[in-house]
Amino acid sequence: MMLTNHHRTRRLSLAVAASALLGTTALSGCSVANSEQAAGAPASGTASDTLRVVLQQEPPTLEACESNLTSTGVVVRSTITEPLIERNPSSGELEPKLATEWSSDDDQTWTLKLREGVKFHDGSDFTAADAAATIDRAVNSELGCNVEGYVFGDDDLKLKVVDDYTLEVTAVKKDPILPLRLSFLEVVPEETSATEKVREPIGTGPYQIDDWKAGQSIDVSAYADYWGEAPSFAKANYQWRSEGSVRAAMITSGEADIATGLSPEDNIGELGVTYPNNETVALRMHNDKAPLNDERVRRAINYAIDKESIVASLYGGRDKAAAQLVPAGVVGHSEDLPVWEYNPEKAKALVEEAKAAGEDVSAPINMIVRTAQFPKIQELAQVIQEQLSQVGLTVNLKMLETSQHLTYQVRPFPTDEDGAIMLMTQHGNQAGDAAFTVDQYMTTKGAQSAFGTKELDELIATADAATGEDRQAAFEKVFKYQNDEVVQFAHIAHQTGMLGVAANIDYTPNSSTGDELRLAEVSSK
Amino acid sequence: MLTYLRKRIISSALPLVVVVIGVFALARMTGNPAALYLPLNATEAMREDFAARNGLDQPIWAQMAQYFGGLLRLDFGASMRTGEDAAAMALRAFPATLQLAAMTMLLAIVLAVVVGSIAALKPNGLLDRFASFTSMIAASIPDFWLAIVGIWVFAISLGWVPTSGVVGAAAWFLPVATLLMRPFGTLVQVIRGAMVSALSEPYIKLARSKGATQRRVIASHALRNAAAPALTVAGDLTVGLVNGAVVVETIFGWPGIGKLMIDSILQRDFAVLQACVLLTAVAIFALNILIDLGYALLDPRVRPSAGKRARRSARRDASRHRPSQPAPAVAAERADATEHELTRSLP
Repeated sequence: MMLTNHHRTRRLSLAVAASALLGTTALSGCSVANSEQAAGAPASGTASDTLRVVLQQEPPTLEACESNLTSTGVVVRSTITEPLIERNPSSGELEPKLATEWSSDDDQTWTLKLREGVKFHDGSDFTAADAAATIDRAVNSELGCNVEGYVFGDDDLKLKVVDDYTLEVTAVKKDPILPLRLSFLEVVPEETSATEKVREPIGTGPYQIDDWKAGQSIDVSAYADYWGEAPSFAKANYQWRSEGSVRAAMITSGEADIATGLSPEDNIGELGVTYPNNETVALRMHNDKAPLNDERVRRAINYAIDKESIVASLYGGRDKAAAQLVPAGVVGHSEDLPVWEYNPEKAKALVEEAKAAGEDVSAPINMIVRTAQFPKIQELAQVIQEQLSQVGLTVNLKMLETSQHLTYQVRPFPTDEDGAIMLMTQHGNQAGDAAFTVDQYMTTKGAQSAFGTKELDELIATADAATGEDRQAAFEKVFKYQNDEVVQFAHIAHQTGMLGVAANIDYTPNSSTGDELRLAEVSSK
Repeated sequence: MLTYLRKRIISSALPLVVVVIGVFALARMTGNPAALYLPLNATEAMREDFAARNGLDQPIWAQMAQYFGGLLRLDFGASMRTGEDAAAMALRAFPATLQLAAMTMLLAIVLAVVVGSIAALKPNGLLDRFASFTSMIAASIPDFWLAIVGIWVFAISLGWVPTSGVVGAAAWFLPVATLLMRPFGTLVQVIRGAMVSALSEPYIKLARSKGATQRRVIASHALRNAAAPALTVAGDLTVGLVNGAVVVETIFGWPGIGKLMIDSILQRDFAVLQACVLLTAVAIFALNILIDLGYALLDPRVRPSAGKRARRSARRDASRHRPSQPAPAVAAERADATEHELTRSLP
């Protein structure tokens, strides 16, 4: 009798435990906690009025003044919010957006005429007060906006609302590219908090935010009162997957219409569209330790790397061997600047010459590389390591994650390194002007520059102040001087990006697609 | 019982504090997050401003004091990355992980009981060899590989299920199937071993001689005795899943806590990392208590009313049924700990 009772109790307890476990799953009704049917996720890949985009990662925020962060900007820029002035990514020209014209007599005070009849998503009218508040909030406030550091530095701008549709912006000193800088600011209403960042901004763009299901998706819909042409798709849905092969699979299986950040290894086939993404890969050599303190060794490294073969074998011939840090389309890029020839014999001779002069060429060089920064980076680093060892140099490969890599990328650089530092860097110039590159990478004290010379600093200062054709010529001179006299860099390649585009979607990516995917430019075939 | 629970909770508090302090200090030793959050050309003034805004300019003990002060007010801090409340982010992600873990373990246990029992009926027979072979493979396949192959076969080639995401019942198939393999393979080996041993015990002969059917012998007699070691191993496997199935969550875009934790480590998002660790640690302590209680429920020998000799033999049994590969060797320790704690605490 006792035994039976015992059994019953145990059976009961087990049953309770099992039903609890079942209950957890059943309660979920086979849907994941906090998830709902996404608006833009039809089960099959049939044509719909919803455009489905799959990104590499969830935007940390959609705050307009953080939109120069790739993961934020790709959703926000020119889709949710709009700038006053827009840079055409193909021609490099500045074009009107919320400002219709702009001019300056002295390159210091700029007058902007603003577009009339523009409405924010909350129904309010766009006026000069909104434009002024946007600039004030992003550049002059204590908000700590990313765009402030990226484009404007510590200098504030003086703002004057002349009338409802005229704004005057004054820089602290002459700034011939102020309109270009302003193109980085996305306009938000005057009422937007100036003391706190806003995760879901109100803008004037063709789409407005409907619903952000954290961790899962963002739904947007076309704004009925948009001042410009109505976009083709009434709705759009953003999702994110960190694996490139999964993003590609979503295109081939018809679950998504556009996938960003793919590479040829992702098996996307014909649906992968390549485009120049403005990124350039280079090695930055620090001259504080042997053997990189010897210019002959730095030249030898340039001769020893077979850039053409690397581009052909690792990157399928899509990338282009580089001679400078900015690609074609950026003011200051020179088509005539020659790529360092691949000449291992010359490299060996230079290393021997340095050795004969007493340089310790056997001292280790630490090549600092960021894991997974771009496709096949590890293979690229290994090829370079091998090619440099062939000419008699000792290269250690150090693969680091982003945070550790950044300690080498930006000043102050580590001083306790047990070897000379050679950093592999990937630089993207999205602004279209070489000033954004050389000020950081080539001046003696630049945040990402290991060293420079007085002469180069002077050349850069002259170029920064120049306008028009003089500006182009002046920056060309800067890049030539770095290759001929300074040799801080060994340039590898100008890169290309790849976008997955479903067969029924009409969209041509351009150099800024990775940073701002303008949904209004997408239509169905 | 209540005394036991109270003592367990009190004795769990200290390790929790140690875990939180450890994560707090170690995370900050991995470098200054300013470089990750500010533009590369940020000036020194901007870096100082960033540090001051996030309290990183304070000495670490002051930061820690502030953090624990916040904890007492249930303020877990805000994410540097998103500006959101860190606790809200962790609590939002955790249920998705728990659901995935529950579904996976439920299926793994059911399948393993069936396969393990059948295999144990004829040790070294054809079915047994087949079950051992498949369970070994299941327990050894890397989940990353399995997930990608699963997407390729079931989502792209056959088109039966979506590649990833959380929408609809079909979306569960690939993540659960991927996660299922290791616990299933491990448990089949445990259950088979325990069943083989149970089926050779004298009480089974007695049951058979009294005319009990094969089903009754297996279900009522052998399986119940084989359940204790299986529970121990299943418990440990569940703990691993509750911690976040990082690979599976990452590949399938499952908004769980494993992915959140990895992202916050890579982004040096300290507040979110701490909130995630604290939450999963609490969950694991709770789970461990449940496992101990379940163990006592299944095996009368580890109850405080049982004699010392019975408890020793329970421990010996538990260690005998450990799987060969690659299950964790915890059964003995678990039995030991349970015995110790129950003896100490239960009234």
